[in-house]
Amino acid sequence: MLDSVLIFREALYGALVIAVACSTLGVYVVLRRIVFVGAALAELSSAGLALGLWLAGMGAAATLTTHPVALSVLVTLTGALFFGLSGARSRIPADATIGVVYAVAAALGILLIAKAKTGEAHDIFLQGNILGITHSDTMVLLAVAIPVLLVHVVFFKEFLFVSFDRETARTLGYNVVFWNLLLYLTIGLVIAFAMQFAGVMLVFDFLVLPAVTGLLLSRSMLGMFAWSVASGLLAALIGFSLSVPFDLPSGPAIIAVSGAIVLVAWLLRRR
Amino acid sequence: MSALITFDRVTLGYGRRVVLSDLSFEIPEGDFLGLVGPNGAGKTTILRAILGSLAPLAGGITRADGLRFGYVPQRDHVDYNFPLKVLDVVLMGRYDRVGLARRPSASDRDRARAALEQVGIAPLADESLSALSGGQRQRALIARALVGEPNILVLDEPTNGMDLVSTTQILALVRELHERDGLTVLMVSHALNEVANYVRRIALVLEGAFRIGDVNEIMTEETLSEMYGIPVEVSSFQEHRMVFARRTASASVVKDA
Repeated sequence: MLDSVLIFREALYGALVIAVACSTLGVYVVLRRIVFVGAALAELSSAGLALGLWLAGMGAAATLTTHPVALSVLVTLTGALFFGLSGARSRIPADATIGVVYAVAAALGILLIAKAKTGEAHDIFLQGNILGITHSDTMVLLAVAIPVLLVHVVFFKEFLFVSFDRETARTLGYNVVFWNLLLYLTIGLVIAFAMQFAGVMLVFDFLVLPAVTGLLLSRSMLGMFAWSVASGLLAALIGFSLSVPFDLPSGPAIIAVSGAIVLVAWLLRRR
Repeated sequence: MSALITFDRVTLGYGRRVVLSDLSFEIPEGDFLGLVGPNGAGKTTILRAILGSLAPLAGGITRADGLRFGYVPQRDHVDYNFPLKVLDVVLMGRYDRVGLARRPSASDRDRARAALEQVGIAPLADESLSALSGGQRQRALIARALVGEPNILVLDEPTNGMDLVSTTQILALVRELHERDGLTVLMVSHALNEVANYVRRIALVLEGAFRIGDVNEIMTEETLSEMYGIPVEVSSFQEHRMVFARRTASASVVKDA
């Protein structure tokens, strides 16, 4: 069993990087009650990738479509900016706006891939292709994850304050719009890169389930981060290790383990 | 006493919609002012202008140099889902003094514990904020406002949703902070009967109308009847004043409304 897992060790390293990055940022996603922003951004990322492949097939926008990932990042960050700047005073409820973006992005992704001359089936976007992660992919993921996590370590206090009580933060001179935007952009960046390999479903899982485990098991923010990252890593490790020898799709296997960990955490909390 | 905040012929609103116009008043150092009115009358609009998060459409708002607010938001505007200990929440009141990307020091923690002592919940410092009662949560938020050493304490509906005991205790605490520590206080509330027995001055906001003055000046039947547009009675009992709407035929009330 170990031998078969070791064959795909580069893929496992990549999955662990995605798990750490997403489960760290997931703490804010869960506490700020914006879990479906995470889902909508992942769909936007998928639609951006599909757009890149479709344009490449048409021979258009050569600079961008040489690397469809670039278009995916661009579309996701635009979405992050949009959600980050959306005001509470809008006539349309925030969750409805997220729903519109989610539905349209998901449909566009499927339509564009269906008409793209190159590219893979839409299932790849939904389920991802964790096993396909190479050493250089892991390096790319690290190059994105490390700066993002450093920003979050250095400015932990600022992100926490504007997330917990933005009105009071504003009265103390905090530029709430700036910090919100930075938070959304870092989330968008991680989602855009993680989505290429993990797919919409697994990215959404890593953003939500580990943080829920952290919330169930911890009484402090530091504890919540620690439990979230630990449970994300554990789910990735166990899910991946089981999926290879038993010939299961890796993403859903990891999600199933994440779900089991949440259940255990919930049972422990009830004791 | 020098003025901490001065409104000079200020018009407030959102976009083209004017909420209140021609507001002129001062909040002097040492004041204990109640900003009172029903929901939707414009209290929050005035509060946002005072705090600087809403620019006036016309007129000028002057704040004293180095003015620092100790803001206590409405209790239900804070998300108790966050796994935060009471001391961590109080420390937030010093975050701007701590500085960008730095962590609170031992001295900041000492000050936070002192602020909790000041509001009477020092033993709860290491409890989860979510585990506290409504009154205790309010005290924790007041401690957070105090730990930043503000010039003016601003409380937004501090007794909203509280029972009689907690309401009385919180109002007594705020008055104590004003009288004992000489703190300037602005308290926003929809409950005239609660506020009137604690503050020194009242600013009454009603459907675009605004009146400010000493409690004795505002709490008269003549002034309140004029402001509310219905006959009002002010009763006194052991130095407590209560405002009642006089009974009228229901048809005329509906007609006037």
